[in-house]
Amino acid sequence: MRKVLKSTLLATSILFAAPAFAQDVLHVPNLSYRTGPFATSGTPLANGQLDYLNMLNERDGGLNGVKLDGTECETGYNTEKGVECYEKTKGNAVLTQPWSTGITLQVLPKSHVDKIPILAPGYGFSAMQDGKTFEWAFNPPSSYWDGASILLSTISDGNLDNLKGKKVALLHLDHPYGKEPIPLMEQLAAKHGFTLLPIPVGLKEMQNQSAQWLQIRREKPDFVLMWGWGAMNGGALTEAAKTKYPMNQFLGIWWAGHDADLKLVGEAGKGYRAVSWSFPNNDAKAMQDIKKLVIDAGKSQAAPGEFDTVFYQRGVLIAAMGVEGIKVAQDKFGTKVVTAEQVRWGLENLDFSEARIKELGLDGMIPPFKTTCADHTGHAGAWILEWDGAKFIKASDVMQADRAAIDPLVEVKAKEYAEANKPWPISTECK
Amino acid sequence: MLYRTAGQFKTTYEADHALFPVRQDAILLGVILTLAFVILPLTANEFVFKALLIPVLIYTLAALGLNILTGYAGQLSLGTGAFMGVGAYACYKIITIFPEVNLLVAIALSGFFSAAVGVAFGVPSLRIKGFYLAIATLAAQFFLVWLFEKWAWLYNYSASGAIQVPTIEMFGVVVAGPNAKAITQYYFVLGVVTLVTMLAINITRGRIGRIWKSVRDMDIAAELVGINLMKAKLSAFFVSSYIVGISGALFVFLWRGAAEPNLFDIPLSFRVLFIVIIGGLGSILGNYLGAMLIVALPVVLSYLPGALGIPISSSMVEHLNTMTVGALIIFFLIAEPHGLARFWAVLREKLIIWPFPH
Amino acid sequence: MLNDILIKPFADMFGAPDFLLQVLWEGLVSGVLYALIALGFVLIYKSSRIFNFAQGIMVVFAALTLVGLYEKGVPAWMALPLTLGVMYLLAMSIERVVLRPLVNQPDIILFMATIGITLFLIGFGEIIFGGENKVMITEQLGIPTGSWEFEPFGGFLSIEQRDVTAVVGAVVLVAALLLFLNKSKMGRAIRALGDDHQAALSVGISLSTIWVVVWFIAGVIALATGIVWGSRAGVSFALEVIAYKALPVLMLGGLESVLGAIVGGLAIGILEKLFEIYWGQPLLGGNTETWFAFVLALIVLLFRPQGLFGERIIERV
Repeated sequence: MRKVLKSTLLATSILFAAPAFAQDVLHVPNLSYRTGPFATSGTPLANGQLDYLNMLNERDGGLNGVKLDGTECETGYNTEKGVECYEKTKGNAVLTQPWSTGITLQVLPKSHVDKIPILAPGYGFSAMQDGKTFEWAFNPPSSYWDGASILLSTISDGNLDNLKGKKVALLHLDHPYGKEPIPLMEQLAAKHGFTLLPIPVGLKEMQNQSAQWLQIRREKPDFVLMWGWGAMNGGALTEAAKTKYPMNQFLGIWWAGHDADLKLVGEAGKGYRAVSWSFPNNDAKAMQDIKKLVIDAGKSQAAPGEFDTVFYQRGVLIAAMGVEGIKVAQDKFGTKVVTAEQVRWGLENLDFSEARIKELGLDGMIPPFKTTCADHTGHAGAWILEWDGAKFIKASDVMQADRAAIDPLVEVKAKEYAEANKPWPISTECK
Repeated sequence: MLYRTAGQFKTTYEADHALFPVRQDAILLGVILTLAFVILPLTANEFVFKALLIPVLIYTLAALGLNILTGYAGQLSLGTGAFMGVGAYACYKIITIFPEVNLLVAIALSGFFSAAVGVAFGVPSLRIKGFYLAIATLAAQFFLVWLFEKWAWLYNYSASGAIQVPTIEMFGVVVAGPNAKAITQYYFVLGVVTLVTMLAINITRGRIGRIWKSVRDMDIAAELVGINLMKAKLSAFFVSSYIVGISGALFVFLWRGAAEPNLFDIPLSFRVLFIVIIGGLGSILGNYLGAMLIVALPVVLSYLPGALGIPISSSMVEHLNTMTVGALIIFFLIAEPHGLARFWAVLREKLIIWPFPH
Repeated sequence: MLNDILIKPFADMFGAPDFLLQVLWEGLVSGVLYALIALGFVLIYKSSRIFNFAQGIMVVFAALTLVGLYEKGVPAWMALPLTLGVMYLLAMSIERVVLRPLVNQPDIILFMATIGITLFLIGFGEIIFGGENKVMITEQLGIPTGSWEFEPFGGFLSIEQRDVTAVVGAVVLVAALLLFLNKSKMGRAIRALGDDHQAALSVGISLSTIWVVVWFIAGVIALATGIVWGSRAGVSFALEVIAYKALPVLMLGGLESVLGAIVGGLAIGILEKLFEIYWGQPLLGGNTETWFAFVLALIVLLFRPQGLFGERIIERV
């Protein structure tokens, strides 16, 4: 009995004493997921992020001499665990990375109260672009609506009116993430006279999409756009290969452009395209340093061959964006151990110019972009990548989204959000 | 020694059937209530509130609802998660349509919606029994979650398909939404859970509770002695789904702050069922003990390696955690199939006759 | 509205018969898989009255072991028997650690214990094999991967060779199983145990041996299911959810009927596909496959509380 009591006491004292000694470490927690049906996508991303931070710690002793701590908290893409992780890691965090649109949704209002910036590169709400409403949320360098706009412009050869009378299917995960592009696409469909056919894939159907692909065979859409994730991508690609759907009419968002998913179909996936704001470049200086200091030193969890992939290197870029935000804040406020509020300012003033990207050793991996007080996305644009049977190759120059279509919708949706959650704090700092 | 009953004489049958036939039980309860109402709120920090205390209470309530159905009336249900969802969505609709309604009233009302749905899906129980009924309740589970996804009116046509709790005030204090203080929410939940627990104790000890138990033990025999099976089973579904429904409303409004349909999917149902089985079927106390084990233990476990300085990755912690929970379930089932509540009962018996072995 | 429900779907079916054939074929193939999983459930339920929820994770575990061994450099022809060995070990440890101490406990306790096994195996499997999606070694096992194309009614029908292999394999497996249950001594012992535990024990049938054998057979079935399903969409823990698909099959067919599992599986596979394509997608927004089978089974149960082929429930007071 006494033993039990002792261990209970120990456990509780540990719980209560969690946020202790935090000297000269910048905490950049990551709510990653290496388990569950989405681990396929989540693992290389988390590895890339962690390895970049470790590389900085090895090479430069951190950032301006302050070590970076990229502690992970495992969510399994489960919203309940995600919120628990947020609460657990927010204590000394300078930013938080919720990693799923569902978790982002729950963390978003809390972060505005706790005053911790959310860094959600390439995911989360598209409306987070509106920095006035979403003061604490950032989704650089491109939002889902940017991706949708670029995809539509790709399949219409640059002019959406070419799609008139055509049918575009949106194969999407039946989850907040998959539904994200629908409002914009519906609007564009009405404006340019094409038919949008959303085809939801339930979380339980991810690996058995025969009903969805039978529907595609019956409806004969001219194009299929995919908002897939984790095990869903592999399922869709195998079914597409099986139904003999022409791969050059099948395109995906950046999370559906994962080497491991395409390797499932290999040669049969040739011609599949995905929009991506990142591109792997093994020769970039930062990547070389990671290889030398982290991977070859045996300090990485990455599997052999993972280093070359789109997702791993995208993870590196995501970490780089967060670190750059911290760096900008350090420079501006003249202090090494910055606070979450200062990092927010930093993320709002990111400037990934060509020169800066080169300086960071990330050349050719990401298009240049710049965030501002009012624009939390930055709109880097994106490339179209194509699967050549063994790897992704660049199939276009950097393409830009149609801001004239997106910005008004952002404003409407941001207003709706603030209205539904009133009283919602609206920043007055910027116009 | 502490539990010595010598000297406590009962002179009437009523006294013998009192809620606390042993005085020490009442004292112990008093201590626990003081702990819950006074000491914990003074010492806990926000993380402890949000990750341990509030969820344990809410899961206890859900388990209490299920326990009435499964433990007292003997009808196995695997649809608890979906019924929690009905409560949550009903509460959300009430709050968004009538923003001036008091949150307590809204939560109390939302229970009736889940109760109605529960009764509708309980009707087959009149013909189907045992595992067949359990799988039949899965029909409710899967159908309702699908409905939450497809019926856009439920989530006010929001693009993401998720519901978001607005800031809600009650008597000038913010109780729900992102601006609410954890301690306020804790008291709110604690109040509701205490109240429902008291009601549940009374219902299960009363006439209707005894009817349920007779149906559980053998429904045909119960029918032969004149119990109306339909009334008994459906009332169990009604009361159970009502409690489960308000726990769902609390789950979203006082804890999560937002919800998407698959939050209410089958893992949630299983989790509540675990609490009931591990805690003890047909026991009110068991729900509390089970919830502490199933909800709080993984949180504590995931902390231990870091706190003890064992360097393992967070995913490994998660894997080990899943394994440990699975192993613990098996362990407890083998060690005491009647649940943690029986553990306590045995311990209490031992304490009463201590220091004698028999 | 009535037109959309009652007339249009049938008009669609006969308007494009080649498409209907494709739908039926897809339904049949999923049906075979559902039947296989349900068979694993039925075997265990029949012999021990355990509702084995862990059948789903056993499918994943078997498939992952097979692929994992191959990735470690074990040739395919050797990985297969080795995997069977692992499944035997698993059956033995489950019997020893979980089932033996729980003999004579109420059904629900045993059911919960199998969920405990499921959780344990998920954690254990992820530690050993990692969470990534793996490619099933279809070709290495000698399963053809091409497809045959037909042009019935001037249309187009594509039949995957591996699906045909799956159907043939399932038929052979079921035939072998029926032969084993009905003709071999062990099989008869299993059936005797299913009929009456105490009587079986009193004539000298060993409970623990039978349980190990039965769980091992369920493991073999799991491996077969894992190979077939894995070759269609890769092997990962997302596969575990197919366990839910077997539950309505069991309800429909009856918990203790081998025939019921097969007929129920095929019926649900085909009907849910037809409903989804011709009613669900046009009228209900799709994804009806998550619940259709359950609701169908529920309706059938209202008329036959023991399922289509289940043993008649006789209650005594």
